[in-house]
Amino acid sequence: MSTTVSPMLVRLAAERATGALLRDHGTLYLVDGQVVHAESPASPGIDVLLTSAGRLPAEDWQEAVDRAGTRGRVGRFLVDSGRLADGELELCHLSALFDAAFFALAPGSGPTRFRYGAAHWLGRIRPVSAAVVERESQRRRRLLDELWPYPDTDTAPVVRRTTPSGQPVTPRQRAVLDLADGERTPGDIARALGRPAFHTLIDVRRLAAAGTVATPRVAPTAPSPVPAWVAQVADDPDTALLRRLRDALEASL
Amino acid sequence: MANTETTLKEAMTSIEGTIGVALVDYTSGMALGTLGGGKDLDLTVAAAGNTDVVRAKVRTMEHLGLKDEIEDILITLGGQYHLIRLLKGRGANGLFLYLALDKGRANLAMARHQLKKIEAELDL
Repeated sequence: MSTTVSPMLVRLAAERATGALLRDHGTLYLVDGQVVHAESPASPGIDVLLTSAGRLPAEDWQEAVDRAGTRGRVGRFLVDSGRLADGELELCHLSALFDAAFFALAPGSGPTRFRYGAAHWLGRIRPVSAAVVERESQRRRRLLDELWPYPDTDTAPVVRRTTPSGQPVTPRQRAVLDLADGERTPGDIARALGRPAFHTLIDVRRLAAAGTVATPRVAPTAPSPVPAWVAQVADDPDTALLRRLRDALEASL
Repeated sequence: MANTETTLKEAMTSIEGTIGVALVDYTSGMALGTLGGGKDLDLTVAAAGNTDVVRAKVRTMEHLGLKDEIEDILITLGGQYHLIRLLKGRGANGLFLYLALDKGRANLAMARHQLKKIEAELDL
């Protein structure tokens, strides 16, 4: 078995905890140790996925949040009021959950905290076991690296190459390319299209591998003109040493 | 109004000879739901692998300049049929149903027909 990303998640799942697991790049919501929702600033939320594609008018979403948010039953409300089909909500929710979890469970993303009892207003839709969420996040990370092992492609602005690569572009990728203006990052494009962020990372890595978009060059860190210890010395100038040095130099010249 | 679980259950019980069934998101390669399978057929692995099959066909169609859509893909093994049906509903952007059938017990024409019907019931 591969090593776990978050030992805390494993422990919380084992003790069937309820609450919110906060990490640097996102939050996982647990009920009885199962993951019921996830959010990340790096991925479009379920509201964006539902409203951008025109599946749900933005006002319908707002109404559902207003009327059922405090009871934590927004998902249920959307289905019961006939605005969304059961299957549609479930699939869109799973899509958002795994997308956000991928970023929330990014390796080495700082300290982890758990707020016991915290619940998400969306409500329970389809809980997923923490082990499945973690395994899927790891599979996704491996998949990206197999496609094109340049992680900077995920965060840098997407730049189209001027020379045509001659590689065919699928309709899904075409939509991504159309928004690649040299400023938008894959995350921005995902949000604009109302698609999961991970799916856009996949599209961009494939396009980069095919040579259709540029692979960002990691800017080489400029070598420092002087060794690092110089700065430390400068903080605390040893005037006596400097004076001896000057004297010695004068004597020898 | 069927959700994923009832849809997979229906496929499993109503289509003769079904070994396993999965609902797969083909961009990420993730199985959103699986039923059946077992130790001889890991549906999660099958789901991820078959996204490459779908993508290869989509790419080939782009190369050929075919302006059409894939309805389903059939793979015939010695002892099994594997049927991939690309879903078309509003919320089905990039999903497919993957069905593994026992060749000896299955009726292929019937299975394709039923899978089509199940897709229609999976209200997306």
